Amino acid sequence: MSPTRPRFAFLVHALSVPHQRVLGLRHFTPGLAFGRRDGTSPYDLGEVARVGLKNLVDGVVVDVPMTPGQMLEDQGRALARMERLVQSIQRSEPVHAIGLGSLCAVVAGRGSALADRVDVPITTGGAATAWSLLENTRAVLAVRPGPVAVLGSRSPVGRAVAALLSADGFRVVVDNKRAARGLPVEVADSPETAAASCRVVVGAGPTGGTLAPGALQPETVLVDVAIPATPAGPVGAGVRVLAGEAVSVPRTWSRGGWGRVYQVLAGYGPFQVYACLIEPLVMAAQGRKKPFALGRNLDPDDVVRFGEAALAYGFAPRLARGWFAARL
Amino acid sequence: MSLTPGILTADTLDQADPAIWEKVRDAFAEALGLDEDEVELHHKIIEDLDAESLDFLDIAFRLERAFDIKIPRGGIESTAREGVGEEDYEVDGVLTSAALARLREAMPEVPADELEDGLRTAEVAEHFRVATFYNLVVHLLAEKAKG
Repeated sequence: MSPTRPRFAFLVHALSVPHQRVLGLRHFTPGLAFGRRDGTSPYDLGEVARVGLKNLVDGVVVDVPMTPGQMLEDQGRALARMERLVQSIQRSEPVHAIGLGSLCAVVAGRGSALADRVDVPITTGGAATAWSLLENTRAVLAVRPGPVAVLGSRSPVGRAVAALLSADGFRVVVDNKRAARGLPVEVADSPETAAASCRVVVGAGPTGGTLAPGALQPETVLVDVAIPATPAGPVGAGVRVLAGEAVSVPRTWSRGGWGRVYQVLAGYGPFQVYACLIEPLVMAAQGRKKPFALGRNLDPDDVVRFGEAALAYGFAPRLARGWFAARL
Repeated sequence: MSLTPGILTADTLDQADPAIWEKVRDAFAEALGLDEDEVELHHKIIEDLDAESLDFLDIAFRLERAFDIKIPRGGIESTAREGVGEEDYEVDGVLTSAALARLREAMPEVPADELEDGLRTAEVAEHFRVATFYNLVVHLLAEKAKG
């Protein structure tokens, strides 16, 4: 890598025990690969892949091989491991910005505790997620005009998306009265009521399983970023659930062999990434020090700024079902 | 069952230890993006403060740091399950009478008439008060002092 190019890092964690084993193989750490260690050791941190934009910005995906259960069980330990990983990166190949993937962006005060402990800007991916969700929802609304329900509206992403959709002039229904403060939106008394009143629904909550699936009427399109999905079970016939966070990559995207493996194991598929991965890339490329998103802070104006920059670098929101593009 | 000294009940919410309450209130305010005066011990965390699932994680983390304690995952519910066999705790997702009785002991800050027959396991968190976490902190501090 050129030492002169801006650099970023993206912190992830194992999504399951089999993932831990793969990461052990990737790190050449037999103890982790063959299950003799459980992924919580400070010696099992390592690199997953190199990604970036050719001749513009270099990135490294690094991991804390703790499972979701381990991350949630002991947030203090997850924080300590993330801090150690960041310090290790900064000693070897310093970066200009660090993004947090999945639960790394959730535990320990949504990135704020890590940001307090290290001297490199930390960003959670919230602006990127909100931007891709917003743009994908706009694409749906362009062919299915009408009111739109925003579920998970109390979350930073949900509130930003509700604010920006209402600024577009759409009739927006949210599922939380506190999320509606200061916004020209309607408030439903429950997620089910909000969903039932609209044929375009946005799932903006970070965790899913929160909506009775029967609330989604036939012909409804749900644009969702929750993991697992927002409906707490299979949806009815005629309801389409689309990924809200998928982003297509430009021709200059570089990822190498392990990058391809990472894209598959992370669930992105071979043709797209999730938006949160490119938030630190944009920060590094722009030389921006201020996080786009950290803790509960997510300014809708930063969502717009991030989107403009991401488009300029060749990334584009992509309505997807699983790995593949969806047609409306 | 005798209560840990300092534990608040629904009738004694005005007797909180100011040193503990201040930190608990700050943790809630920071995690939920609220002003300090928007957080009261009697508030229901979900209904009154509009907390979402991830906010509970954030609140727990901030309390752990503020008091140097470790809050076990599912700490409140696991306390309620103590002494009640798995099969005696719930039937088809509905809490048994034994479980409700245990829950009333474990959550004295919740008015007893809210924990009545028909309450579903999934609905228990809707009754959590700010005082529920205050009491959890008091309990864990007492355990820590015992060593």
